[in-house]
Amino acid sequence: MKAAGQLETLERWMQTVVMHPEGAEAGLRAQPARRLLPAAARDPSGVVLPSKQLSAVERLEIYAHMYFARLVEVMEAEYPSVRQLLGPHAFAAACRRFVAKHPSRSRMLNGLSAGFPDYLARILPRTNRNGLAVDIARIERAMEDVFDAPAAVPMTAAEFAAVGEGTRLRVNPALALLELRYPANAYMNALRRGERPRIPRPRATFVIVFRRGFQVLRRDQEPEQFRLLRALAAGKPLAVAVRASIGGRSGSADRVARRLGRWFEEWAGAHLFVKGDAHLYRNSR
Amino acid sequence: MTSKARKCDPAPAGNRWGLPDLGLGVGLRTQHFRHITSKWPAMDWFEIVSENFIDTSGRPMHFLDQIAERYPIVMHGVSLSVGSTDPIDFGFLDKLKALAKRTKARWLGDHVCWTGVAGLNGHDLYPVPYTEEGLRHMISRVRIIQDYLERPLVLENPSTYLTFAASSMPEEEFIARLAVEADCALLLDVNNVYVTCRNHDLDPVAYLDAIPLEHVVQIHLAGHTDNGTHCIDTHDGRVIDAVWDLYKRVIARAGGRATLLEWDANIPKFSVLQQEVRKASRFRNGLREAAA
Repeated sequence: MKAAGQLETLERWMQTVVMHPEGAEAGLRAQPARRLLPAAARDPSGVVLPSKQLSAVERLEIYAHMYFARLVEVMEAEYPSVRQLLGPHAFAAACRRFVAKHPSRSRMLNGLSAGFPDYLARILPRTNRNGLAVDIARIERAMEDVFDAPAAVPMTAAEFAAVGEGTRLRVNPALALLELRYPANAYMNALRRGERPRIPRPRATFVIVFRRGFQVLRRDQEPEQFRLLRALAAGKPLAVAVRASIGGRSGSADRVARRLGRWFEEWAGAHLFVKGDAHLYRNSR
Repeated sequence: MTSKARKCDPAPAGNRWGLPDLGLGVGLRTQHFRHITSKWPAMDWFEIVSENFIDTSGRPMHFLDQIAERYPIVMHGVSLSVGSTDPIDFGFLDKLKALAKRTKARWLGDHVCWTGVAGLNGHDLYPVPYTEEGLRHMISRVRIIQDYLERPLVLENPSTYLTFAASSMPEEEFIARLAVEADCALLLDVNNVYVTCRNHDLDPVAYLDAIPLEHVVQIHLAGHTDNGTHCIDTHDGRVIDAVWDLYKRVIARAGGRATLLEWDANIPKFSVLQQEVRKASRFRNGLREAAA
């Protein structure tokens, strides 16, 4: 369908004005809006009528304010711990900058902030607080993705019993594997207990975020445990994954067997292995 | 059947598609999932925001499937962007169709608005310039969408906060002509009529009188915020008396129509929603008593 001229111009102009990060008045004067309707920069009432109470600019500002307020509110709900760590004003400012730089291209809101952790990693000065905030953002983003992921049927005990060296296990689609620079999961737990923990020094941590039933959970993993799970999630046969992850570095065969038993017990209880086809959530880092 | 009786009878024939008067409903919100699926409270039907149940397979769909087994569901979207000059997104229409099939939705709709252009989405309901060009554009798109969805589209009058100087007709005339010429259904949001008329210094009664009621299949009620200089459609509280008066007027003219209470911010306990929406019964029951 061919879009009509004036209608398309008015829509593009209004969108440009109300999505301007400094508000509608700045948007009116900015080059993109001036290119579309040059006269409106001088006299916006030629495009938008004033009411008895509000000028044309004030009416546009209502939409400009709501645009950012709504999207920041969505992100506040998605990243409560990042907000707590950075403080509400700094967090809102970061969200506004993110939305201005990466406006939504989806009709749904659940993917709006998918790039927010990487964005924070790019824009925040390199401090331990900010590094921790980036890692927490990765966890909170993964929680959103896992929340929306397809459901899958967990493997039964009998199916586990039939697993052999060559078996390729299928991981739950509602599982995220995160390799982080800070002990971010432990920090989040402390925040949620109402504590005000000190900012930790960098330390590599390995976190899984998963959904058991309809509850989204997260858990720290031992480094070798994480490597094994990642190898299994990548589709490697069990024996190959074990050798690649812990082979030769973990002491006696008995000790290895005990550790493997403990890990698989934990993973089975978390429903990390499922029947049928599944895919791995890709760690964006 | 006398004219008076026809007005007072919430029969399917009250609109031109024979869509039923579902009674009184509320918007389905996540905060109430557990209450609804454990208590199965008295409620005639639920409305969902379509986009909240698209591209998700977790908890929301789990609860929606259960609720759709027991209550009628209506789908009400916020991003169809019927007024946009971007191409129609048929992939999105496929998703709406699939959700409608899964929930056995009685009908589905969106707003007389656009939400983005040039591939972007503002996640807001932006007003269309009420011009002949805008009208032709929307009529053409509504027809295509309805053909694709194989059902009437139910479009709601939005709350608006600005008027384009290019507009050549009032909003209510634009909506009335859109409904008649595209042959689409309407969701008459009485609170939005109030808010829009306050913001544009218009008469809400004249607005309502211009709406072709045979196209109206559903009514919305909600609370709003009055900032003095303008009103914002915040859906965060009880319906004010002036809006109830408008509702009473619509019901008196149109007869029973599926009526829904929207409450999307500062969401209270489910019992408060039940209490608020039941107020609408007074007017609906009053009609039946008058008919008797």
